[in-house]
Amino acid sequence: MKKGVGMDEALRLKGVEKTFRGHLSIGSHPVLRGVTLTVPKGVIYGFLGPNGAGKTTTLKVVTGLLFHDAGEVAVLGETIGERSIRSRVGFLPETPYFYDYLSGLELLVFMGRLLGVPSPKLGSRIPVLVRAVGLEGKERLQLRKYSKGMLQRIGLAQALLNDPDLVILDEPMSGLDPIGRREIRDIILSLKEQGKTVFFSSHILADAEMICDQVAILVKGRVVREGPLESLLGSEVQFWDVTLRGAPGMAPPPGSSVLARQGNQLLLRVEKEEVLQDLLDRARSDGASIRGVVPHKISLEDLFLSQIPGEVR
Amino acid sequence: MVADRSDVPRQIAALAANTFKEATRSRVFYILLAFAVCLLVFSSAMGFMAIGSIRRVVLDMGLATVSYFSAMTAIFVGIGLIYREIERKTIYNILSKPVSRGVFLVGRYAGLMAVLLVNLAAMIAALSVVLTFFGGFTPRIFAAAGYIYLELLIITAVALFFSSITSPVVSALCTAAFYLIGHTSSALPELLAPSLESVWAKRLVIALYHILPDLNLLNINNLVVHDIPEAPGFTIRALAYTVLTVGILLVASTMCFKRRDLV
Repeated sequence: MKKGVGMDEALRLKGVEKTFRGHLSIGSHPVLRGVTLTVPKGVIYGFLGPNGAGKTTTLKVVTGLLFHDAGEVAVLGETIGERSIRSRVGFLPETPYFYDYLSGLELLVFMGRLLGVPSPKLGSRIPVLVRAVGLEGKERLQLRKYSKGMLQRIGLAQALLNDPDLVILDEPMSGLDPIGRREIRDIILSLKEQGKTVFFSSHILADAEMICDQVAILVKGRVVREGPLESLLGSEVQFWDVTLRGAPGMAPPPGSSVLARQGNQLLLRVEKEEVLQDLLDRARSDGASIRGVVPHKISLEDLFLSQIPGEVR
Repeated sequence: MVADRSDVPRQIAALAANTFKEATRSRVFYILLAFAVCLLVFSSAMGFMAIGSIRRVVLDMGLATVSYFSAMTAIFVGIGLIYREIERKTIYNILSKPVSRGVFLVGRYAGLMAVLLVNLAAMIAALSVVLTFFGGFTPRIFAAAGYIYLELLIITAVALFFSSITSPVVSALCTAAFYLIGHTSSALPELLAPSLESVWAKRLVIALYHILPDLNLLNINNLVVHDIPEAPGFTIRALAYTVLTVGILLVASTMCFKRRDLV
């Protein structure tokens, strides 16, 4: 265990920097400019950011595929260079590329051997994982015949072969249809139930909001926000959208604004609770029918967009 | 479930088996193999049109074809051995697992050597058939094949070294240059040095020869063609030269590849 690394931390990055340099070191492109974040054990952690923010570069540094120029990276309390640590980590790269001449089953056997999983254990684990990722009956097909969603699933299965403590997924829901996304979400949630830590990058904010305990937002190589989702989003309602019907002449109370008027239907936005009460009282007294009152809290998308400078969007 | 050092042979075997599958499941491999056998039969048959000892010419043409074609295959496949893995991003899945970069290189190398062995065996089998048909068969062609394989071990290690640090085009040029130098460097002490008058110039030429590779140290094709036995200790020297050269190249490849960013 490294000095200063908490027992309850699955991953810690402190001031990590990475610059890509051209041939003969001509021209440089800083990608990570001091990334600092902490992933506690047993959580689902979303690593969010616009394209080009440095998410994949960060994940490659964490998995030992890239070498950082400065800063510290501790994975399960050790540096990622340690073989024993890589045995406890599962990784699914972005848009996984596999040997397309292998079948799904052959790929899992190959990866299992590289991970040092004993043959009997591999024999019992593969069918379980194939079933878990929904590829039962398709495991003997060559990977060149797999759809993108199927490749993502077999990629997830190979990342879980070693029963890892930390699962790192790069854009696991990218390119999947809604059913596929839900299935991957369910697998991620079941990993958490098994006590594993899941660290995944995504730009699909709705999915992240649904399953993440904690998130970090990366912009231009820096973490601009990090923390538990509920503390970042807050629990207070930002505004209400009210739909009324049968109130053509009703004057909206001060503090409310008309968003749309269609026939005898009116859509209003109210930002204060007392104004909402006033509006509802007026509607009732005017004989209007209240069709809907929808409270809006700040969403992850709102938070995300508020952190992204205009030129990056 | 933790992979430890005792898993290294299993990892190398898995990587080698995968490299072998990659080649043998590709149509290019069979087209190349068929082309090699046809070329061999054609070039051997051409020997019958030659003036002089037909048997010698056929044997000479056959072994030369086997030697050149195997070397070209080793260069052609070897230069993409690492580069292709990076370009296709298949390497990310492997090196994010408890597989050291050195093990990855050795596994890929071992797999390609298995492919080249199959390739060589097919060509030697075809040559045996041709020679038997025309009455010129000698069992020494198997010994010649053994030395050709030693040469392939070195050429592939050179291709692997360049593949781990640069692009396929540069790797191909550098490996081809190594092959050409390796087959001509023996002329330095044998032809150039005796013709020089200056002692210092002679010493310089000899020193240069010792720095450059000499693949003729592994070549017995001419001896087989002319029925001359190998000098005593030839095999030991050839084996030692191969093991040392391959060892140095694999260590150098690993050292270069170890710090390489996989972008």
